[in-house]
Amino acid sequence: MSKPAVMRRMQEIAHVDVNCFYASAERAFNPALEGKPVIVLSNNDGCAVTRSPEAKRLGIGLGDPWFKLRPRAREWGLVALSSNYELYGDISSRVMELLGRYSAWLEVYSIDEAFLGVKGEPDQLLELGREMKAACRRHVGVPVCVGIAPTKTLAKLCNKWAKNNPSFNGVCRWESVPVEQREALMAKLSVIEIWGVATRLTKRLNAIGIFTIADLVRADPVAIRDKFSIVMMRTVLELQGTPCIPVEEERIGRDQLIFSRSFSTPITTTAGLRQVMSVYAQMASARLAKHDLQAKVLTAFAGTSHFNPNEKSFPSTCVVLPMPTADPVILTKAAHALLPRVFEGVKYVRAGIMVTDLRPSGNQKPLEIFGNPHEERGIGILLEDVAKRYGRGSIGLGHAGIRGGPDWTMKRDMLSPRYTTHWDELPLVKAA
Amino acid sequence: MGVIVGPRVIDAGLSVVTVFLAPLAVAAGYPSPAQDYFEGRIDLNEHLIKDVTSTFIVRVVGQSMEQAGISDGDELIVNRAREPKDGSVVVAVLDGELTIKRLRITPTGVVLQADNPRFPDIHVPALSELTIWGVAERCLHHV
Repeated sequence: MSKPAVMRRMQEIAHVDVNCFYASAERAFNPALEGKPVIVLSNNDGCAVTRSPEAKRLGIGLGDPWFKLRPRAREWGLVALSSNYELYGDISSRVMELLGRYSAWLEVYSIDEAFLGVKGEPDQLLELGREMKAACRRHVGVPVCVGIAPTKTLAKLCNKWAKNNPSFNGVCRWESVPVEQREALMAKLSVIEIWGVATRLTKRLNAIGIFTIADLVRADPVAIRDKFSIVMMRTVLELQGTPCIPVEEERIGRDQLIFSRSFSTPITTTAGLRQVMSVYAQMASARLAKHDLQAKVLTAFAGTSHFNPNEKSFPSTCVVLPMPTADPVILTKAAHALLPRVFEGVKYVRAGIMVTDLRPSGNQKPLEIFGNPHEERGIGILLEDVAKRYGRGSIGLGHAGIRGGPDWTMKRDMLSPRYTTHWDELPLVKAA
Repeated sequence: MGVIVGPRVIDAGLSVVTVFLAPLAVAAGYPSPAQDYFEGRIDLNEHLIKDVTSTFIVRVVGQSMEQAGISDGDELIVNRAREPKDGSVVVAVLDGELTIKRLRITPTGVVLQADNPRFPDIHVPALSELTIWGVAERCLHHV
């Protein structure tokens, strides 16, 4: 590096996430939704899990149940959609692959957000943020915001500012914001807005006089460790600019499960990655089983290191499972779908899988192949008789026999086409 | 499956014209990843899709592009990342709908044409006033 000393080449962390991801993924294929209030509903069309800004302005809250909103939907012009995880999984994997092209390293943090390592002079970093934003919109069709800072916690905070303050135009870099403006912004935000600070902790922080982010930045990390925990101390240090949040290898979100880790020795063979993918798939299977869940969509990804700028590869692929499952064999096979997209001989230092479209076990349709023999033995008729006499939900086969009614298929009445994963559901373009 | 970033556009702020090096050029560094798996057999994905990240397949409804060899029910391979040029067959957003047209960029303005003259042209003052969803690269015509 024979750069003049005046140039400051920084190594920072960018946090990129898609604005109201599920609604944006829907809009990418249905432009008529642009500008309209759109919500995406949880499994079984239960409650609003994603709201477009227009829907938020109507006063619709996160988690508002659909049955309460439905009577007013028409008057509001509200569009409600069932969650289309196959679409979201594919769009997510495209976004991650795209972001990988810009970064030294990439950590897929959830279905719609990633941390990535970026290098350059201050102006270049801001420029890079704008490029990533433009590229996600252009290449994949979804809007993102970008926060860039020396630590993950600050990058997340900058992203929040980028989203909520139009003057940032969707990209905010910590060091590029004047100190006075940063302080003013931090003094306005409650500590609950910080990544990793839960409601319970907020109350305890308030009790010792820490209300805003600005208060927490001024706190003594050691005192915080003694009063709270090492995790809280890390948050304070991160806010003060010292990176110290380790990469989390397993994360369980509201609607996804992620396993990823970096390897101490790079993996350079497809056979090696096949093994890693198998291990993760089995970990995911065990975790799903423990929570009594099944998944319908799996995303597998891998990435190279930033020490080798000439060897960048961030393959990512999304697989729709034949049925909701926690079966280790099926999950393993699905995770192997990544393998044709990895380059033999390239040094991969990170890999992972993410499962989404989670639902309680036993909510799935039984395999058709098992359906027939029972029918031949007249069990269907017997079940029907019992159901008629004692009511639906009084009898069922295996898992389906749990009380809770006949709701053994997922209710998704307002499902948009699975535009990118099903040949019969491709987006239609008008030639007229 | 592009793996290396192409030339950076200086002001990528609001415009949607970031141009990437065609991933074909990128592939020069490594052998195709598919080689280990499909020995000798032709994989259409490999030949028809230049950039899997930005490529989508759509289905045509209507007859207005028959003269371009694009018929009702045909599938199109559309690359969102490709820069639209004069003469490109594009998917444009018109009245909230994905619509297929031929793009004409003339000194007096931008025109979206149907190849079938029965359908009227749509005139726009500038490209920036249009939302181009993507550029069609291949038509999978049903014969």
